[in-house]
Amino acid sequence: MWHIAKRELYDNLNSLRFALATVLLLALMLTNAVLYLREHPKRTQAYHNAAAGAIQTLASRSTSLYRLATEGPGDLHKVPSPLRFCAEGDEAFLPTRVSGANYGRRIADMPPIWRMFYPQETPNLRNIRPDFTTLDWVFIVGYVLSFIAILFTFDSISGELERGTLRLTLANAIPRHTVLVGKFLGAFISINIPFAVAVLMNLILISTSDAVQLNAEAWGRLGILYGIVVLYTCLFIALGLLISAAVRESGVSLVVLLLIWVSFVVFMPNTLASIGSRTSVPIAHMEFWTQRMQLADAAREAYQDKYGDSQTTPSVHVLGEYVTSEAEEYERFNEAYLKQQLAQGKRARAITRISPTAIVQRLFESFAGTGFERHLQFIENAQRYAREYREFVIDTDRADPESLHVVGIQEGMSQKPVSPEAVPKFRDTLSLNRDFNAAATDLLLLALFLMVIASGAYLAFVRLEI
Amino acid sequence: MFKTLIGREFLDNLMTFRFAAAVFITLLLVVAATAVLIKDYERRLESYNTSIETHRQRLRKWQTYSPGMGRLNVDRPPNPLSLFNVGLDKRLGNKIPVSHSFVPSLWDAEMDSSDNSFLNIFSSIDIVFIFEVVLSLLALIFAYDALAGERERGTLRLVLTHPVRRGHILLAKYISAMLCLLVPLLMSLLLAVMLLTTSTSVSLSTDDFLCIGGIVLSSLAYLSVFYLIGLLISALTRRTGTALMLSMFAWGFLVLVYPNMILATTPPQDASAARGASAFNQIKQIYEEFDRERRNFLANDPVPGDDPAFDMDSPGRWTTGDGFMENQLTLLYYYWNVLSYDEFYDRHLSQVPHVQNYYGFLGPRIVNTADRVWLIRKQALDEIFVRPAFVDRVLLKLSPVGVYDAATQACAGTDLKGIQDFFDTVRQYRQEVIAYLYDKKAFGSRLWFAGDEEQVDWNTLPQFSFQGSDIGTKAKRALPDVFLLLTINLILFVIIFLIFIKSEV
Repeated sequence: MWHIAKRELYDNLNSLRFALATVLLLALMLTNAVLYLREHPKRTQAYHNAAAGAIQTLASRSTSLYRLATEGPGDLHKVPSPLRFCAEGDEAFLPTRVSGANYGRRIADMPPIWRMFYPQETPNLRNIRPDFTTLDWVFIVGYVLSFIAILFTFDSISGELERGTLRLTLANAIPRHTVLVGKFLGAFISINIPFAVAVLMNLILISTSDAVQLNAEAWGRLGILYGIVVLYTCLFIALGLLISAAVRESGVSLVVLLLIWVSFVVFMPNTLASIGSRTSVPIAHMEFWTQRMQLADAAREAYQDKYGDSQTTPSVHVLGEYVTSEAEEYERFNEAYLKQQLAQGKRARAITRISPTAIVQRLFESFAGTGFERHLQFIENAQRYAREYREFVIDTDRADPESLHVVGIQEGMSQKPVSPEAVPKFRDTLSLNRDFNAAATDLLLLALFLMVIASGAYLAFVRLEI
Repeated sequence: MFKTLIGREFLDNLMTFRFAAAVFITLLLVVAATAVLIKDYERRLESYNTSIETHRQRLRKWQTYSPGMGRLNVDRPPNPLSLFNVGLDKRLGNKIPVSHSFVPSLWDAEMDSSDNSFLNIFSSIDIVFIFEVVLSLLALIFAYDALAGERERGTLRLVLTHPVRRGHILLAKYISAMLCLLVPLLMSLLLAVMLLTTSTSVSLSTDDFLCIGGIVLSSLAYLSVFYLIGLLISALTRRTGTALMLSMFAWGFLVLVYPNMILATTPPQDASAARGASAFNQIKQIYEEFDRERRNFLANDPVPGDDPAFDMDSPGRWTTGDGFMENQLTLLYYYWNVLSYDEFYDRHLSQVPHVQNYYGFLGPRIVNTADRVWLIRKQALDEIFVRPAFVDRVLLKLSPVGVYDAATQACAGTDLKGIQDFFDTVRQYRQEVIAYLYDKKAFGSRLWFAGDEEQVDWNTLPQFSFQGSDIGTKAKRALPDVFLLLTINLILFVIIFLIFIKSEV
């Protein structure tokens, strides 16, 4: 078996396609590193500035518990992933912050309590540059490497069949599956050599730069990503062998392979997303605004109906209840809308999993800490922090025996000074554990794809008449 | 002899499996994409119709001119030809405010009823994109063994023993292969147009069909470029294996890698920030001068105080407000004001003539200042945003894919210029509205702010309509790119001819 693998390998190493693949992959990977080193420091700088600003705002609000309770924690920012060169994840279209602020209508001239807002990101609205895909690893692997894998395998069986060398090989006492595995290994190694070289160059360039520091976890994630690349390449090699064995002419097998490649890699991911997004459509954004406005008006009117005409202002407790319930309802509405939007996005993404390229993109995004899944994680983090912050305000208030314990009303809250250090700060984190969880289905699906195609290739080759 | 050659080649190509597979897959992809795209277009059209209705109703709620001028919106209709090449049609803003207080541009448009912004992470595929990828691949697959294969098999030598000119052989190969490639192209386009015409929501005019004709023509030229690239590689190499690998990698580079690489690497414009800041300051200065004049007027008029609402309130509904709106990123800076009363207290009635006087003075000045500022803003926006975008497009044209994309976008009217046409029309419409206001003497009238005696009849306001750029302009924009494709074709053909003539068999 090693003999066959070695023979295949030598054959490939001397071929034109090997040279071209090496050049192409190297060029892409180096561009990727250079672009990343150009963009990433700017991104981290912007994040640090924003985060520092947020902490300052919080500190300035820490003068009194009442201010903390009404004005809220301010903007919460998403930390940029250091592995963005692996998967861009269309981050440009995802918001980088959520904010806890107190825009809202006043009830009885009381400043409203803060609530969570989820701003939208529409960078394309004013962008008149032509569309393009960023050169991240997802592109290099998903498009280019799979294309190369096809070019390396399309003639590995049909070509030998045409030349008659396959008959010669099989005349020796070698079982067929050994030949197949040998061919598989040969192709696998010869594709992996240029890719590994390119990846190493890419990583050397990135790790030697001062601007970026990758920690142990990032390197671990890179290792996982490489494993995914291996799976994906195997998938396309197996596909190549399958078609090459099933179709007896190498010209035809190339055509078939290319057409399959075009449909699965280029066409399917986006078209399927468009189909998938047609179900569970959330209400229009305009409608959302109107409804939210009506909600705020309703809260105010409810108060006006009851206490609008009376001469004495109602008790602190009653006021506190109105203010709190308005903020809660408003926030619940915001969250429900966000949930609808995310659900539509999720569904659209789920259906694209018919294409292995889309699976690989999802996996890359999960492990690189970018993209849609990452955004979900960020929102979760922010919501957890919001709860923490609220509890902090309530607990601090409870600790003061003189307070009336009415959160959101100046007179009802503790008047004692708050130490700015005690206020919880938002820290956005990435957890590998959770990423694994989200990616498990995709990994299994990819493995399943590989199994099916590999066994198909085996069957086709065993039944092949020579 | 020539005819025999063509016939032979044609049949050779037609009877192959690759031809059947090519036709099948192109049809499948195009039909599937068209069905999805039509649904998408229907949704956009529906949302456009709702927006128009909402905007009309919202305007009707106001009884006076002043708030109406802040709430007049124009909607951009979706372009039915965006199914072929979506270009900028889907992503740029489709709700454009029209007001006398500033001149609207592409950068002021908003997305109305923009649904889920999270869906932007998926890019949209159009018919031209499928052609870009599939047809170019097919052309190369048909071409790679055309010369190298015959040379390998020795049939080329056999053919050349007959008294045939080499040029004729080449031409015969080219014509027959193009005829074959035309089949999937035309069939899929016909099916797509058929689907389009059966859909009730899409209505195509004669001009649109001519545009589709233009798209077919550019597709043909594009296809032929890739066929000739394949033929060139085939003529240069002695072995089909080498020819195949070279053409596949050439395809990968031209279609897959180059367009993305060049756009990703062109640096974002940092230098333009200074240009923007200077233009913005200039604009601000003009408005400072304007504001001085305004305050002067208010200080010198008989009513004390300089409140633009003249310190009035009302027993009914009333809105007042003024201020400067700014967005440094898009260089937007203007003075807005709103003043509207449904009723007056009797004690304020004596002030009404003064208010009329003030707005009679202010209105024309707002219009003039906005027009003056627009000249500065337009130039700065062109330099900061439009020029780099054009440079990008020129760089893209180093690959035939870029040329083809540009040509079809121009035909479909979804390119940058086509979209700019729309915004030009919006600006014209703004002029019409202003002319209407002058005509009705709205600025100095009671109706500008007082809805107590009579109400504005919004029905007499000029209506906005946009039919898309006319076919002549579109053709003028598409033709350079089509000619560029044809020139590339010609040059490639001449090169191949020379190589083939000189080559030994």
